[in-house]
Order: sequence, then C-alpha cells, then structure tokens
Amino acid sequence: MTLLEVQALTKEFGGLRANCDISFNVHQGEMVGIIGPNGAGKTTLFNCISGLYPVTSGRIIFDGRDITRLKAHEVARLGLARTFQVYAATGDLTVEENVMVGCFLRTRSRSQAMARAKQILYDLELEDLSHYRVSELPVAAQKRVTMATALGLDPKLLLLDEVAAGLNPNEVEEVMANIKHVHSDLGITVMLIEHVMEMVMKISHRIVVLDYGEKIAEGDPQSIAKDPRVIKAYLGERYVREHGGKLSPSS
Amino acid sequence: MEVLRNALDFSDFPRVDLCVAALVASFLLIFPLFHFSSFAMATMIQFLMFSLYGMGWNTIGGYGGQVDLGKAQYVGIGAYTTSVMLIRWDVPFWVSMPVGMSFAVLWSFIIGYPLFRLKGHYFAIATIATSLVLKDLFEVWDFVGAARGLEISPIKYHPPDFLRLIFKEDVYYYYVILGFFFLGIFYVNWFRKSRLGFQLRSIKDNEDVARSLGINVHWAKVKTYAIATAFVSLVGSFHACYIKNIEPEDTMSLDISILIALMAMLGGAGSLWGPIIGAGVLIPLKSYLKEWLGAKAGLVGIDLIIYAVIIMLISAVEPRGIWGIVEKARRRRSV
Repeated sequence: MTLLEVQALTKEFGGLRANCDISFNVHQGEMVGIIGPNGAGKTTLFNCISGLYPVTSGRIIFDGRDITRLKAHEVARLGLARTFQVYAATGDLTVEENVMVGCFLRTRSRSQAMARAKQILYDLELEDLSHYRVSELPVAAQKRVTMATALGLDPKLLLLDEVAAGLNPNEVEEVMANIKHVHSDLGITVMLIEHVMEMVMKISHRIVVLDYGEKIAEGDPQSIAKDPRVIKAYLGERYVREHGGKLSPSS
Repeated sequence: MEVLRNALDFSDFPRVDLCVAALVASFLLIFPLFHFSSFAMATMIQFLMFSLYGMGWNTIGGYGGQVDLGKAQYVGIGAYTTSVMLIRWDVPFWVSMPVGMSFAVLWSFIIGYPLFRLKGHYFAIATIATSLVLKDLFEVWDFVGAARGLEISPIKYHPPDFLRLIFKEDVYYYYVILGFFFLGIFYVNWFRKSRLGFQLRSIKDNEDVARSLGINVHWAKVKTYAIATAFVSLVGSFHACYIKNIEPEDTMSLDISILIALMAMLGGAGSLWGPIIGAGVLIPLKSYLKEWLGAKAGLVGIDLIIYAVIIMLISAVEPRGIWGIVEKARRRRSV
C-alpha cells in the first residue's frame, strides 16, 4: 500500500528552483533513504512534505489524503512526523518534558503524556537521561531526543533529517539501532536524509537521489551504488572502490 | 481532578524554594497584624497587584516568549467595566469583574488574532500601539467620563461593603487581593504543566519545530494572550474599587504596560516565582523613589531613570532575570 505519493513536486524560491518536478512513492513499512550533495534540495523536500513550505506546484498525497495545501500542524496531526537537521530540542526543558510536548498532541492529560513519554524513552534506551536538560547533553543524545519527541505524535510516517550527521561510529550505531526499532518493532514507515553512507546504504530498502533539485536516480542500494550518474554527482569513485562489492540492504 | 492536583503540586521545586515560599506566604498572611504605616500597607497592596499583573504577563511573555507591551489596555477595560457598572447600575464587583474579564478577553481575541501574525519587535510595538489607541478612545468617550475619568464616591455606600468591594480600611483590600494572589499562583502552577504551557515553551524555542509537532502556533498564542488578559483585567477591576478614581492617563498609560513587563523580566520571565520576585523588588523601590526622592528631594522622573538602568542590566547580565541568576548558581554548585 502506498503511504506517501509525491507527484511532480516543484518548489521555487524567487528564481531558484530548489525542487524540480520530483515524483516518487513511499510504501507502507518501507525505509527510504534520500541522498544527494549539499544544496540538492533534500531538506526543502522534507519541508514541503511536512507543510512548512507551501509548494509551487505538484501534489503530495499522504495516507490517501491530499495534504499539498495543509499547514504543518495539520499534517503532523494526520500522522506525519519529522525531525530537524540543525535544531536539537527545546534546551530549556528536560528530555522527558521534550518528549511530552510531542505526546501532548494525542492527549490533554499530563499524566497520560508523561506515561507515554516514559515508554518512548524506555524503548529508545534514553530513560537514563530523562531528567537532564537537553542543553546539557551531547549532540548524539539530543538528536535521539528529537526522534523520541517525534514518536510522541504516534506517526505513521517519520521523516528523519540527518540524525547521524556529525556523530562518531558508536553513536551512529546507537542511532541506527533506534531507527531499526522504530521501523521494525513499531512498524513506522521511515524516510531519512543522510550523508553517512555506511548507514543509509545498510538500512534503506530504497534510495532516492537528488542533485540540483532534481531526482537523478531511484532504486535499491546496490543499483544506486552502481549508477554512474549517482557516482558522478555524489558518491565519488573512491567510495565505490571501497564499498562497491559488499553492499546489501539487510547486512 | 487532575487539574486540581497539578495546580496544588509544587513537588518539582527544590525544598529550599518551598521553605522560602512558605515563609513568604505566612508573612503575607499575618502582615496586617504588625500595624505598619499606611504607606507600607499601600505598597504591599501594590506589590500583590503587580505580582498578579506579572503572573498574567508571564504566561504569554515568559513561557511563550511574546513580549507584550500593551497590558495597560486590559487594566483599563477591567477598571472601567467595574466602575461604570457600579456607578451607573450599582452592579457589585463580583458580577462586574467577570463581565470586565469577558470584555477584555473578547478584545484580546479581536486584536490578538491579527497581531500574532507579527513576530518579535514588531509584535511588541503593535501591542503598544493598540493600547495607546484604546486609551485615546477612552479619553474622548463621554459615557466613561472622557479625560476626567470616573470616580466612585465611597459616601454612597456603607463600608465595609463586601459585595461592591468598598472599604474604608486598606486591610480589607489587602486580604481580597492576597486571595487572588494565591489563586493566581495556583493557576500559573497548573498552566506551566498543562498542554498549553508545554506547547508555548516549544513555540518560544522554535516555531517551525512546534508546528511540525502538531501545534497550532497562532491559536496557542491567541489563547494564552487571552489568559494573560483575564489576569490583568481582574486586577484592573480591583484597582477601580481600591483607588476609586480612574482616568485614562493614569490607568491605561504606557508606564503601566512597561512596568508590568519589566517586573516579570527582572524577576525572571518564564518561571513561576519570577514575576513575584520582580514585583517584590520593583514596587517598594518605585514607592520609595516616588515618595522620598521624587516628592521630597524634587528629583521627579528618577524612577524612570532607574527602570532604564534595570532594563540595560537585565539584557547585559542575565536575560532570565533574578531567577535566572539563582538557577545558574544552583546548577554550578550541583556540577
């Protein structure tokens, strides 16, 4: 079943075309990676899908509903959650309180929001950090907190914007474990923008490649790694030499 | 039930805070027994009134980060509603106060709806403008006494009149406003833990993130603005019965708006105790400066200079005010 349909999406800022005629589908239960060089329009695409930017043309269908013209908070209520690339979380609040902000979407009751937040933090193995202020935590933990907050919305689809960027290999492992948990145990469809190729090639079922605002390729990780246009635009010869032979989505 | 439990639950504060709060609360309860001067009594009533103004301001301005410099218009709406209803139709305070509150909240929706399309400084300036416009309207509106204002003459009534809130001795006013003061604390204590309180803190931090967490940012701001307004209007109604003489230039002046915001920021915007601390510092200072330095030494306007210095100090030293300094010191010690 198709959960998200992006149809001929175009987003212009004045004369600049940040997204140009992009189309792709995301099916229920999939894990889809979005890759591409800096400035390719990946985050703009997320901002359009999540309703923060009005699109110039095209349509976005989520869960059978046309959400093209909906505002961000309405999109979120339908079950489409996201994280942000630079933003960590509300530094003033504790980890648990941050997650509660997300949980309050589905309940008015403080005790219910708190119970749900505790459950999510336990699931993501963040419960030890519950009472720290977010501003006191390392970046890796902050990024996992934003994931936890997004889970508070009980989403059907979760968009992750560079949750692994700038993290060390151990931290990448932790984040990856969280994403796998969200995807397989909670059954949430995931779309992720990522520069850490080791991760995105490993966990994605399918990859969409953007360059200069256009979709230049789409396919499973192996075929993407072999695609000459993708290699030229993004991966580079060296990456393929080192990783080319041993890529598989399940390993 | 949960609402009540949250309002009365202060357990997330350190024990020191609660001890200090309990001491201050008991002092406030027995303060009139000490028979201080009438000047001290008047200052205390002002302190309680401005604490309440500050608590109201703190919901939208502190937790929500929307600097509002137009609260005087709501003081005016509350004060005028109560005065007009009492003078013209002999309506008691306990009826006119909620009526004034409804007018104020209605007005807050009318101006809040468009105003919250603005952000930051633009919003702050727009609130000043609307407040001044309303003041000017009241100055030419004969029904409410135009520029002369309205006077409640106490001889018509038989004090102590608990229905109309007409008393001879200040001690009655003191206990009425003290009651509102405690209710205000419980309300804000609930508010900061409520869904709206959480949403507002998220909005203050980053509006786009708040939106993508399903928060209707505009509506949350408009709602909270109405809550802040209700607080201010209530105290405005009380002000009318207490001062008994209201005029636009006095009740709705820009000074009042700025003082309300300033106190909350000095004490610590976005914290439960902040506005109370701010009022506790500024009100005695203001009374003293006016009484001695202003009237006796002829240094008129010295209070304004002091406010200006305080604003500069807050922005330079600690934007989170006195409470921010306390929390910082605490965290340093715990590390």
